[in-house]
Amino acid sequence: MIEVQDLTRQFGRTVAVDKLTFAIRPGQVTAFLGPNGAGKSTTMRILLGLARADNGFARIDGLAYSQLRQPLTHVGAMLEGFGPNRGLKAFNHLLWVAQTNRIERHRVMEVLELVGLAGVGHRRVGEFSLGMGQRLGLAVALLGDPAVLVLDEPSNGLDPEGIRWLRQFLRRLAADGRTVFVSSHLVAEMAVTADHLIVINQGRLLADTSTAEFIKRNARTFVRVRTQEPERFRRQLSAAGIVAVLAQDGSIEVSGASAAEVNRLAAANHILLDELSTESASLEEAFLRLTNPTNESAP
Amino acid sequence: MRTVVAASRAEFTKLRSMRSTLVALSLFFPISIGIGALEGWSVRGAIASHSPMLRSDFSAAQAGFDGVLYGQLALIVFSVLLVTSEYGSRMIGLSLLAIPGRGHFYAAKMIVVGLTAAVVSIPAIVLAYTATEFALGPYGSSPFASGVPHAMLGAVGYMTLMSVFAAGIAVMARNPIVPLATLLPLVLAGSQILSVIGATAAIARFLPDQAGMRMLAVSVGSSDQLSSVAGFAVMLAWAAAALIAGHVLLRRRDA
Repeated sequence: MIEVQDLTRQFGRTVAVDKLTFAIRPGQVTAFLGPNGAGKSTTMRILLGLARADNGFARIDGLAYSQLRQPLTHVGAMLEGFGPNRGLKAFNHLLWVAQTNRIERHRVMEVLELVGLAGVGHRRVGEFSLGMGQRLGLAVALLGDPAVLVLDEPSNGLDPEGIRWLRQFLRRLAADGRTVFVSSHLVAEMAVTADHLIVINQGRLLADTSTAEFIKRNARTFVRVRTQEPERFRRQLSAAGIVAVLAQDGSIEVSGASAAEVNRLAAANHILLDELSTESASLEEAFLRLTNPTNESAP
Repeated sequence: MRTVVAASRAEFTKLRSMRSTLVALSLFFPISIGIGALEGWSVRGAIASHSPMLRSDFSAAQAGFDGVLYGQLALIVFSVLLVTSEYGSRMIGLSLLAIPGRGHFYAAKMIVVGLTAAVVSIPAIVLAYTATEFALGPYGSSPFASGVPHAMLGAVGYMTLMSVFAAGIAVMARNPIVPLATLLPLVLAGSQILSVIGATAAIARFLPDQAGMRMLAVSVGSSDQLSSVAGFAVMLAWAAAALIAGHVLLRRRDA
């Protein structure tokens, strides 16, 4: 359980985090979404005791991070940019982390296997690809077998196969009953991974909702129609009280009516349809609308 | 306490698994012993040929400590690198996640720096002294000569305090450039030059290396020099100041 209450942090005149309040429940994957610079990383850093809050608090199971004893056995974290020294071998890197929290040595091999790096434990981290670095970061987070995971952009640098692997991995961790809190700027990816979404921009909370609810609310569906007489049909649709917009490619986008209704209206008016399909606007667009209301027609 | 012990173990793992720190540390021996032997050998020639180049106050016993004075450069580099390896890759974030008590992390880092410096200094000082005296041949002194065991003890203390001082500065700077660019020239030449110029000599003797070097003195110095105890006190003050300043900054900063 993660609780964030009225969290505020300013850097000079910029308000990075602005009275942020939310709670994250165990047993699900919660995505922390927002464009770059929205305040996700700052929030996570305050949560993990790496940066201070000007106001409010962030707690894990009722305690500030700094109050946790052997914190890695409670919380596993992976933060962007907090890599190991390039000169360290992967195994030794995990070993020193384990030693700080008196985690047994055999656990190092276990987590290396868990993230698929068992064969390269003896290699220096400097030789790792971005994707391998991310896997190593996950291994560090899992060392203490923590009930809470805080991961900052874990999919960065992963190839499509790696992303699929990560998705299944996170789902499995949540299924174990863990609290999985993952930041990302990839909405579509999180829509299939996360059960719950927390969306922020400019440090403020924009949405705190289940993924299903978010999709239902924001992913508007519409009917696309192609005909030889688009302008005439659009007028007839409008006359029937149906919202219809001419798209740039000459098709008509109809909202608020089903394909069947559109088809009946076309038949009644003796209009021949070349195409009739139901489409849904992407979650990406919904996200952009939410985080940037002035940019309604963003591509 | 248990936290600091666990954190110190982890720091030691970092130390022995990073090439940069290991290389710097291992250079301490060849530099100290090599320069010591080289000096002994060249002075032996100078004495044998009654060279006027030989300084009048030459002391065979004191010369046995010159090697480690050069060797300390490697020790300073080691201390600075063990600290700044955290910052180059921002591993510091991870270190503080694992050890949220910044005082605990800092204590562990400094304990490992100080302990390592002390432990490697003991054989290096004895070996460098022995090598110098051996190279001096008939003009060489014994490790049990008056004042020498005392100076050896002082040398171990000096190396330890100098390493901790360098590590404290490195925490403040967060990069290796500033501390190395300040400390290496200071130790090599800077304060020597200042101590020769009359106007600055009075101040120069309180600089960390000049004061600290009094800890290595075999015999009581001239009246314008600090005593070995005073030198130790001044060096201790420098190390403590760097330690405290580093701690304050580490606590205050975001990681």
